Amino acid sequence: MYNVNEELKEKIINLNKLLLDKYREIFSLDGTTLRNFIQREIGEVKKINRLSQEELSHITKKGGLLGVDGSNNRVGGAYPHFVEIYQALAKSTIHANEPIYKTDFYSPLCPENENRDNLENPLEEDQSIRSKKLSAIEVEVALEGVRRFKPYAVIMDGSLIRYDIECYDRWQELREECEEKNIILIGVIKDIKTYIIGDLLVKNGLLSKRELFYDRELLYGLLEYGEIIEISAGVTKKAQEGFASLFMRSSKAPSVIGMDILDSQREYLEEMARLVLTLTPQDGRGVPLWIDIVDREVRITDQLIRGLLESYLDREILEKLFISERDKRTL
Amino acid sequence: MKVVGITTQQEVYVGSKERNFRINEFLIIEDPYQGDLIGEVVEAQSYNKYMPLSMHGELADSSVINSLKAIGYNIEEDTIYIAKIRLLNEALYPIESGSDVRIPSFEEVKDLMIRSAADEGLVLGIIKNTDQMAENMDEEYKDLLYTFEEGKLKKQRDIPYIFDIKSMHQYPHIGVFGGSGSGKSFGLRVILEELMELNIPTLVLDPHFEMDFSQISPYLPKEKAKDYKDRFKCLQVGHHVGVRFEDLSRSDIKNLLGASSPLTDAMSNVVDILFRGRESYNSFYNRLKMLAEAQEEGSLDRIQRRIDESANDLDREGWQKRKELFLNYDKTCPYSSVRGIIWRLTRLENEGIFSKDIRPIEEGLHMGKLIVVQGSTRILQVFSTYLLNNLYHKRRDYKDAQYKNTTAEYFPPFIVVTDEAHNFAPKGYEPPSKSILKEISQEGRKYGAFLILATQRPTLLDETITAQLNTKFIFRTVRASDIETIKEETDITVEEARRLPYLRTGDVFISEASLGRTIFARIRAANTTSPHRENPFEELRNKLMEDDNKFLQVIQDKLPINGDDFINVIKEIEKETGETYPITLFEEKLEDLVEKGLLKKKKTPFFNIYTK
Ligand SMILES: Nc1ncnc2c1ncn2[C@@H]1O[C@H](COP(=O)(O)OP(=O)(O)OP(=O)(O)O)[C@@H](O)[C@H]1O
Ligand SMILES: [Mg+2]
Repeated sequence: MYNVNEELKEKIINLNKLLLDKYREIFSLDGTTLRNFIQREIGEVKKINRLSQEELSHITKKGGLLGVDGSNNRVGGAYPHFVEIYQALAKSTIHANEPIYKTDFYSPLCPENENRDNLENPLEEDQSIRSKKLSAIEVEVALEGVRRFKPYAVIMDGSLIRYDIECYDRWQELREECEEKNIILIGVIKDIKTYIIGDLLVKNGLLSKRELFYDRELLYGLLEYGEIIEISAGVTKKAQEGFASLFMRSSKAPSVIGMDILDSQREYLEEMARLVLTLTPQDGRGVPLWIDIVDREVRITDQLIRGLLESYLDREILEKLFISERDKRTL
Repeated sequence: MKVVGITTQQEVYVGSKERNFRINEFLIIEDPYQGDLIGEVVEAQSYNKYMPLSMHGELADSSVINSLKAIGYNIEEDTIYIAKIRLLNEALYPIESGSDVRIPSFEEVKDLMIRSAADEGLVLGIIKNTDQMAENMDEEYKDLLYTFEEGKLKKQRDIPYIFDIKSMHQYPHIGVFGGSGSGKSFGLRVILEELMELNIPTLVLDPHFEMDFSQISPYLPKEKAKDYKDRFKCLQVGHHVGVRFEDLSRSDIKNLLGASSPLTDAMSNVVDILFRGRESYNSFYNRLKMLAEAQEEGSLDRIQRRIDESANDLDREGWQKRKELFLNYDKTCPYSSVRGIIWRLTRLENEGIFSKDIRPIEEGLHMGKLIVVQGSTRILQVFSTYLLNNLYHKRRDYKDAQYKNTTAEYFPPFIVVTDEAHNFAPKGYEPPSKSILKEISQEGRKYGAFLILATQRPTLLDETITAQLNTKFIFRTVRASDIETIKEETDITVEEARRLPYLRTGDVFISEASLGRTIFARIRAANTTSPHRENPFEELRNKLMEDDNKFLQVIQDKLPINGDDFINVIKEIEKETGETYPITLFEEKLEDLVEKGLLKKKKTPFFNIYTK
């Protein structure tokens, strides 16, 4: 028998109550109403099909796909005693044995950090540098891949808007390169963090609470396999930044993923959605297999990083700066 | 190919992106500190990190994989091959991870693989998965044999497996184990062909009547056919060979009578008392018979009455004799035991065992031939006991005399081969044939007498003998108890034992004490074929056709045959061939041929006319 802490039990019961309270309204919204609302206010709900063999071989003839993803590993303890290693990979389906890798690292202890944003709070500053570094190398490998392999399309892991925010200059370079050469550029978002629908529901008075409801919560189970919602320009902030987006259910799992495309390439939105659907295992979590493969390859194991640091950093530096008390136990 | 992962001094894993590994192949690890180390692949695996599971344990369906292929990426190319390698000799330190691995050249493995020149050893097959090393092999080892796989004859591409027969002097005796249909008999045949090739005196006990070498394998190209006709002889017990009764000692006769089931003490006593030795079959038989007849009379009085009432002198003498036997032996030889001995003796006699001798066998062995002794398992159990004792002691006497510097008649060293060996040397009970086999297994080495014992059931074979089998050929084995026995009795590894149930027919692990490790080989295509490979149903059909043709030939020049003339035709045939047919049978045969379309029948108002 476990000794249940009464207070803990109380707390959990309370949590359940709070959540039920918050979501009662949503849970009681009936599916058809919600779908109708979405049709009217957000964009058309459409059923799409997988690409045919001919369409796929057309893509191959035009240069295949380039998948781009990044990874980060952190060794050490709390700020500032850690080092983070970033790695980005661009991999073409046609030239799979010529992967393009770039790496970078960051440690708050390191004097090098030249392009500071001069944020007041060092922790925020730290966060911003870290995201920038990873985004930057991702865009760099994408750019190199685009130039080297001239793919038909590029799939980035994650939302395109992130790059626009985090590394504007290089992103513009990639964007222009793609537009000029007519290479389609999309981002696939596993975990959508938008709250477009919830916002509109509240605005339209269908929800009384002025709370934040995420799209993933509202869309869960709402779409059929192979259905997409093209988000009308004007509904999202993104449109202003030059992107078009959609939601789709790409596998049998009830969750929904997002997809971005350059606004200038909006005409390809549906074709790309169909490509994503084609490449996603029906019984999977909704992520195209190619992105999963790139993701798998770009990842570095913690052991490997540790091994590298142990081999190439002075023992003194490693132990004094990067090894937390907790880690020492396992070293 | 590179060493990957954690290594030890005995085992490493090797990975490759390009090359699949084959089990039992040899590889050289180029350790930068310890130099080249040779090892053998004991486990081979291929691994695709994307297939069939995608990253999170979910199944990537084939449509997605095909779609990826359609846009240029073939997931199968990301397969990694991994092999577990066991070093032949333990290294001083664990192998350096990351060491390069390569295929050895022939020179580097020659000493490991080839222990004997082709013309001095038994060329039994190929060592599997050695084709890459065989490329730069010396000419003398090339084109020695064919293998027969999937219904086709294949040229030799691998390193040959040549059994070093001379090593038997130090590591005597061979066991051949494997389940039904695993290739034991075929393997034995190949071994025997090679023994004939070397003119080694060999005695084969053949309970299956299958070790005949006069039929060339149908698949062999004509120019490669080998003729063994002068090198072997099939002799059937009771027909060509047997036991000369006059030569039998008391223990011989007891062995013979007790070979298939043990004699009771009382029966054994009867032999001790009544058998005089160096006497004829009839003399022994009559003694037994007369004693039994006297005992059937039941009492001395009644025997006396028989004597008194005898019609002539001969009868009287006979009963007089019976009376003596009765007086001398009735007390010590109970009637039932006497009957038992008579029954066993007449059975042997009826089988013809006492009508011949073993001279043809001895002569054959002297000439370096392969002598195949055929008979039912029971008969062979009886005969082999006598035969082996005889031959082995001749050889032993000769060698002992040599050691003692006296003289004895020369008798050559020889090999004894038998299938179904568990019938001759079973575990758990002691038929006479077992004691001689045991003796040879334990002491034969000294005298140059060797055993090759094949069995489906190693578990049923006497353990003492099994332990003496220094080389073991292990074919496919499915039965768990036999796999256990094999694990205990050989040096095969856990991995190899696990593969035993899945071996292909003709593939074999060879565990040689002289090598200290196991070789994975395939037995070569035999040059000859067993006489009864014919499908029994085809046999039936052929026999029928043969009969029909014979009959057709006989009536050929009698055609057309009229239905009212059968008598005369039959008489004519009888005159010409000596064969008679009853009229009804004759007519039936004609009708049968009509039915088969070989004859035609014309109907007339009075009778049928049979024509061509
Ligand atoms: N090395 C080989 N190459 C080609 N064919 C083979 C080989 N070994 C056996 N075979 C074929 O497989 C069949 C079965 O083999 P075999 O008669 O030797 O089995 P077995 O082990 O003696 O079985 P059992 O114990 O039932 O007598 C035979 O018809 C033979 O032609
Ligand atoms: Mg057999």
